[in-house]
Amino acid sequence: MTAYDPCAHCEEVMQPFMDRVLTDVERSEAEAHLDECAYCRKRYRFEETLRVFVRQAVTAEPMSVELKRKLSELRTPLQ
Amino acid sequence: MSETTREPDARQIATEARDRVRFEEEALALSDQVYRVARHLVGSREEAEDLMQETYARAFRSWRSFQPGTNLRAWLLRILTNLNIDRGRRQQRTPDMQPLEEGDYFLYNKLEAATDGDTDEEHVLERLSQNDVVSALSEVPHDFRDVVVLVDIGDFTYADAAQILDIPIGTVMSRLHRGRRILKKTMAEQTVGGEAA
Repeated sequence: MTAYDPCAHCEEVMQPFMDRVLTDVERSEAEAHLDECAYCRKRYRFEETLRVFVRQAVTAEPMSVELKRKLSELRTPLQ
Repeated sequence: MSETTREPDARQIATEARDRVRFEEEALALSDQVYRVARHLVGSREEAEDLMQETYARAFRSWRSFQPGTNLRAWLLRILTNLNIDRGRRQQRTPDMQPLEEGDYFLYNKLEAATDGDTDEEHVLERLSQNDVVSALSEVPHDFRDVVVLVDIGDFTYADAAQILDIPIGTVMSRLHRGRRILKKTMAEQTVGGEAA
């Protein structure tokens, strides 16, 4: 049996924590560890910033006006 | 007598027309959001544009099968995903070709090591460019990328993603977990270099 490593556990639950899918108990445990551990806190802040960064990076290219027009033209003509 | 029998029909037709117009307007209002997801489910802008037109054409034809009050954006993406699969645009991979991913902290650790101990997360991220992220995402294998795109870019819940992709929610969770790790590993390799950790 390996010894319990709180930082390894924190890494394991980090993404579910950020997705807000942990149970209340798991969430409190993760928060308590983040409060006392600078190593994990730093990585948590990075992961949060990274998510926003990824989202912004990939959504920069908007749909063309031309495509928008084509989609509107697909509508059923009014009788 | 013919007046009384025809009147409900006319009213029904008018109601149906109004419902259809409302549906079409709501679907079109979501098109930017649907496109944002579509653009990263397929390889190129052209493919995404074709797929959007096919999706909206089908959606407008089969609007009656949409249940009002349910998630229209998820419904549209379900159509889009199915069309994408039908057209054979997705290559099926064999399970043993799945790349290995590193731990969740891999990217941070690599970037931190490469920034001379500057551990401020904003500065660490400055090493990543927008293009790095876009090209890293395109390298994540389809099955994993679909889930990452739906949840992290499309803001869909696990349950919505499961419905759109027609896979169990547990599969969404495991693919998301691995997909994010693969994405971070790819970004680390592009930014810092490909040496194994």
